[in-house]
Amino acid sequence: MSWAVVAKKDFQDAIRSRALWGLSAVFLLLVGGVSVLYATLDEITGGEPTAVGLIFFVGSTIGLFVSVAAIVTCYKAIAGEREVGSMKILLSLPHTRRDVVVGKLVGRTAVLAVPIVVALLVGAFAGTALLGEIAPVATVLFGVVGLLFALTYAGIMVGLSATTGSTTRAAALAIGFLLVVEFLWDIVILALVYVANGFVFPTGTADFPAWIYPVSQVPPSSAFVTSLTAVIPDAPMQASGNVPTAEAFDAFFATPWVGVVALVLWTVVPIVLGYWRFQAADL
Amino acid sequence: MPALEADGVTKEFGGVTALRDLDLTVREGEVFGFLGPNGAGKSTTINIVLDYLKPTSGSVEVFGIDAQADPVAVRHHVGVLPEGFNVLGEMTGREHVAFAAESKGVDDDPDAVLSLVGLDGVGDRPASAYSKGMRQRLALGMAVVGDPDLLILDEPTTGLDPNGARFVRDTVTSLRDDGTTVFFSSHILDQVEAVADRVGILRQGELVAVDSIDGLRAASGGGSRVDVTLDRSPSEGCVERVRELGGVSDVTVDGTTLTVACENGAKAAVVDAARADGATVENFETSETSLDELFAQYT
Repeated sequence: MSWAVVAKKDFQDAIRSRALWGLSAVFLLLVGGVSVLYATLDEITGGEPTAVGLIFFVGSTIGLFVSVAAIVTCYKAIAGEREVGSMKILLSLPHTRRDVVVGKLVGRTAVLAVPIVVALLVGAFAGTALLGEIAPVATVLFGVVGLLFALTYAGIMVGLSATTGSTTRAAALAIGFLLVVEFLWDIVILALVYVANGFVFPTGTADFPAWIYPVSQVPPSSAFVTSLTAVIPDAPMQASGNVPTAEAFDAFFATPWVGVVALVLWTVVPIVLGYWRFQAADL
Repeated sequence: MPALEADGVTKEFGGVTALRDLDLTVREGEVFGFLGPNGAGKSTTINIVLDYLKPTSGSVEVFGIDAQADPVAVRHHVGVLPEGFNVLGEMTGREHVAFAAESKGVDDDPDAVLSLVGLDGVGDRPASAYSKGMRQRLALGMAVVGDPDLLILDEPTTGLDPNGARFVRDTVTSLRDDGTTVFFSSHILDQVEAVADRVGILRQGELVAVDSIDGLRAASGGGSRVDVTLDRSPSEGCVERVRELGGVSDVTVDGTTLTVACENGAKAAVVDAARADGATVENFETSETSLDELFAQYT
């Protein structure tokens, strides 16, 4: 359980960061504001706000926020300690490098989980107060998927951080990831569709090939919202960018569970690759 | 079983050889000083022992445990004061020591450890606000938590004031008296001479000598030097006679002065031989070979 000692220390240390508390405050305001908007603006709900609808509205808002928060809290996790030399103290004690990576992942996930749990409570409270109803099953499932999402993003960022001993490079990798996989992914999809359609833009989404659906779930924030639709009963389908929902495609892999698969893959692959680089690295 | 044994360790960094075929044994219970100029490979050696670096070839064992195969088992036996380390985030001094104890699975009292290394009363302050000397003491405290069998100190006195350096020396001596093996590196000769039972000298990645300080003195020219100033230039026969004396290893002439490297016991014979052909000795000085000269000879 050596990783647990590292995780505890890492969490205790990170929880003191003013940046984290600032981030959490912004997050809280965001979720509170979004909840009030949802409950009061008919333009959003078509006049019929529901507790489940509120969850999705909050969920689609926090996706990008969590990704940015993950960069702030995680990009230095391994690279920073290597750069300043505190990794030498950490590894002078009886911890394996795997303990360090796992401990960092768990510790930073816990740090990210704090604002998510708070957001959940605020959302549930706002829902009850403003709508007079609460969706307990959906709220708990939102919490579970939200924590998985925090783990996913912590895994990506800690994994990237583990590949290098330079925080400059770690920051570049993290921001590059966010740019390409989150912000520019719509363009990637359009380019793929354009090429697949014989270098002509299709006239409508009906002409999109079925494989574009899983590709649309590559951005973790899209996969997060889609995962919510997969696990929450009677959830409204949510489109990811320009790509229609799973129902529009006739293929066995056109299901919202692809979002869960994407989250799990993003949770496992980057951290394993990062660990693989780190365990062979000269400090 | 040796406390530490390096066997044919070579480390290359992108074509540059930092360590070449290093064989080294540190015996249990001794204080071993690892001496060499900056860049000789001292930290590289220590970093391989701690598995911070992977050797290009060769192996290191600590109490019979392979350092690369099972670094965690090694670290259960070893306390480390790394070179160029930094403190952990915003944790206080006490939290650092408590973290070390928790990591090693022992229940040492953090305040007792802080007191041992002279950090009474500052345990509640963040270690990031400590001076260099205080950080060095803190790391030493973390290293001795759990009473390690082997203490590895990489340049422990660098950047310390004389009080701090003496504190490190005293700590090393008292730990050795308790049976702890100590392996420490330094480029400062006085530090090594004061506490080391044996010394290894590293030059450009190769171990050029391993011996006690006295042994090194003897091996490198008898340990003493005599400067004999005569009233005239010494004749060739005189120089030859001195050179052939037992215990004399080197003779040089500068004007009317003979400089002779020799064993302590040969000094009187040197002076006698110098005036044997009628010259008068106007002055003579003797001195022990300084460690600086010793160091310069080897490196």
